[in-house]
Amino acid sequence: MTHYDYHRPETVEEVLGLKRVLPAATFIAGGTDLMVRIKNRVLNPPALISLRAVTELGGIEDGEHTRIGALTTIDELCRHPLIAERYPLLAQAARRLGSRQIRNVATLGGNLCNCSPCADTATPLLVYDAQVQLQGPDGSRQVTLAEFFVGPGQTCSSPEEILSQIILPPPPADARTLFMKKGRVKMDLAIASTSVVLVLDGELCQEARLAVGSVAPVALRLPLAESVLAGQKLSSELSAEVARVATTEIAPIGDIRASADYRRQIIEVYLRRSIDQLAGIVQ
Amino acid sequence: MKIDLSFTLNGSPINTSVAVDRRLVDLLRDELDLTGTKIGCEEGECGACTVLVDGQAVNSCLFPAPEVDGKHVITIEGLGESDNRLSELQQAFVDQGGIQCGFCSPGMILSARALLNENPNPSQDEIREALGGNLCRCTGYVQIVDSIQTAAARENSDD
Ligand SMILES: Cc1cc2nc3c(=O)[nH]c(=O)nc-3n(C[C@H](O)[C@H](O)[C@H](O)COP(=O)(O)OP(=O)(O)OC[C@H]3O[C@@H](n4cnc5c(N)ncnc54)[C@H](O)[C@@H]3O)c2cc1C
Ligand code: FES
Ligand code: FES
Repeated sequence: MTHYDYHRPETVEEVLGLKRVLPAATFIAGGTDLMVRIKNRVLNPPALISLRAVTELGGIEDGEHTRIGALTTIDELCRHPLIAERYPLLAQAARRLGSRQIRNVATLGGNLCNCSPCADTATPLLVYDAQVQLQGPDGSRQVTLAEFFVGPGQTCSSPEEILSQIILPPPPADARTLFMKKGRVKMDLAIASTSVVLVLDGELCQEARLAVGSVAPVALRLPLAESVLAGQKLSSELSAEVARVATTEIAPIGDIRASADYRRQIIEVYLRRSIDQLAGIVQ
Repeated sequence: MKIDLSFTLNGSPINTSVAVDRRLVDLLRDELDLTGTKIGCEEGECGACTVLVDGQAVNSCLFPAPEVDGKHVITIEGLGESDNRLSELQQAFVDQGGIQCGFCSPGMILSARALLNENPNPSQDEIREALGGNLCRCTGYVQIVDSIQTAAARENSDD
């Protein structure tokens, strides 16, 4: 049995103050990752600093940019009308994350801070060009999500900083979007996942945004595949070519859940299918 | 380090004190002797430890005890009628064979309770979706889905 102290501050200032005097303490949000790691003795923190009573870290704010508090739960994302309307990929991904019990407490901030390549909310936020706000003893700073994800389990934030907000610019107008996730059973972690945003002008693809999860050390956008698609006339040959290029931009590993080859194949099939479906191309 | 907690448990206010590194499931089972809440995997996979916190199904094995302060908690012990009769939902599990060994039942029934509270007339798919985080080794789930549909029908005909 591990023993730890537990603190429940109510403001960000108190959180940062506690972390200053307890540098070895770990932040806890929903705890759905952390409590498992503590139980399995992967982590043995002397103290936990809970963010759950910090009301300023919750809430979804409308505006030119949408600001989502880091403590917003996955279930809130599933239900919020603004998210469903403006950022449907995020709502779709949230609905596929874990079980209802997990979604009721798991937070968006926790999903990102974990920095797992298979975090379900990562690919939607990447295609929406999300930024994250970090708050630390020296003030706050904003970085792109792509900068935030450094490696598996590793973000660009320093140990004294918390993630306070996720900031979403307006989505592209008239975008068509599709999220796909492959798990062994429905509530599993993703073996591979894709988020696709297309802006079409007749048969022409004006803009393409593609992101993939679970197939590289971090979830990532695919700039090369996007450039093959953007500005071109859509066809099943083109989507097949885009999907093939995409497989050169990823670096999947094989593990207990799937082989590297299988992951690469899923990405190729999912991207081709997503583009064909969004463009209305019948195979 | 201990912490004083005030919360509502199965409808009654309660004041207690607990070591801060206990989980809600430890508080319920070890300190309050409410052993209806079961422990299976202790990692959020099986749902045997499911209870309701402010009406929402949560895994009590992942829920730090200090976080229940000020909240409303419902466990399986809080579902029966005041005269010791089973609630309609529990009775439906008995009638439809939704209970075999019974280990998953408290968690199943609380997930079902949360579902029926927000959706009194769920489809089969909605039931299966709501129970995605509850594993059963015995029934094959078919009788559990039947139990919940039966309970929904009975509850709807009451009012
Ligand atoms: C049974 C089960 C199924 C799951 N299924 C999925 C799934 O399908 N898809 C998926 O993506 N994930 C899944 N997860 C993983 C997990 O539930 C999610 O990653 C969840 O979003 C984590 O959020 P949390 O609030 O619970 O994080 P916590 O466990 O509280 O924290 C996770 C990490 O982030 C840090 N942290 C949290 N918030 C902040 C913050 N605001 N600032 C700084 N640091 C912070 C913590 O210190 C900790 O290191 C599953 C977990 C379980 C147990
Ligand atoms: S014991 Fe909590 S989910 Fe299995
Ligand atoms: S009845 Fe035995 S595990 Fe469900």
